[in-house]
Amino acid sequence: MSDATKVAAAASSRDPAVGLAAVASLRGLLESLEELQVTNARDQGWSWQQIAEALRVSRQAVHKKYRRFGF
Amino acid sequence: MFERFTGDARRVVILAQEQARERDARAIRTEHLLLALWKVPGNGALVVLDSLSVSADAVRSAVDALDGYDGDDAASLGTLGIDLDEVRRQVEQAFGPGALDRTRAARGRGRRRSGGHIPFERAAKKTLELSLREALRLDHHFLGCEHILLGLLHDGSAARILRSLGVDQDAARVAVDELVGRRAG
Repeated sequence: MSDATKVAAAASSRDPAVGLAAVASLRGLLESLEELQVTNARDQGWSWQQIAEALRVSRQAVHKKYRRFGF
Repeated sequence: MFERFTGDARRVVILAQEQARERDARAIRTEHLLLALWKVPGNGALVVLDSLSVSADAVRSAVDALDGYDGDDAASLGTLGIDLDEVRRQVEQAFGPGALDRTRAARGRGRRRSGGHIPFERAAKKTLELSLREALRLDHHFLGCEHILLGLLHDGSAARILRSLGVDQDAARVAVDELVGRRAG
């Protein structure tokens, strides 16, 4: 089986262990990317309001999550 | 599968778990196997690594700098058609080397939550299978630490580290074969 076929087979797998592990890894990746982008935006002087709008979440949500980073 | 393992090779596998525990890892990964090689003095892998100018310090600092995201993540994301290496490459292009894996989100999730048993990551398990294949390929009738080293050169974070330190798979195979030949002769 080629790699591409294997990937396709796994993606359509109903095995919860496979599916849930993929969701967990994806969530981790999402968190990392958000952190990088929020950090970068703050470094470039963006306000929490601007960041929240771009992320399509509330200002409070984004501020609460990232204020501990000490921006 | 373990019947062909030498005593030293078995010790490396056991000590890899210690390495993972010390580092609060949630799984035994290839880099833990790599670090464990230095915990078994005088083994064949160390002779080969020394001949390839790879030092314990260089490997340790490379492991220290490592990866919130491991081979299991890469495999899981692959099932969704997401190429983690490509994402990492794009992010590093914008934010510098190690940017993705250095995020708090990445490092936090690599941590183990509770004590007890630490499982082998898929890539680490695969490494042991590949070690056996490497031994067979060289027509060696035992599996020593030097074959674990060859197994480590295939995939996963240890392979990335060794490659970054200039270790070439073919050169390592030649060095291992010579070493085993010398010891037999």
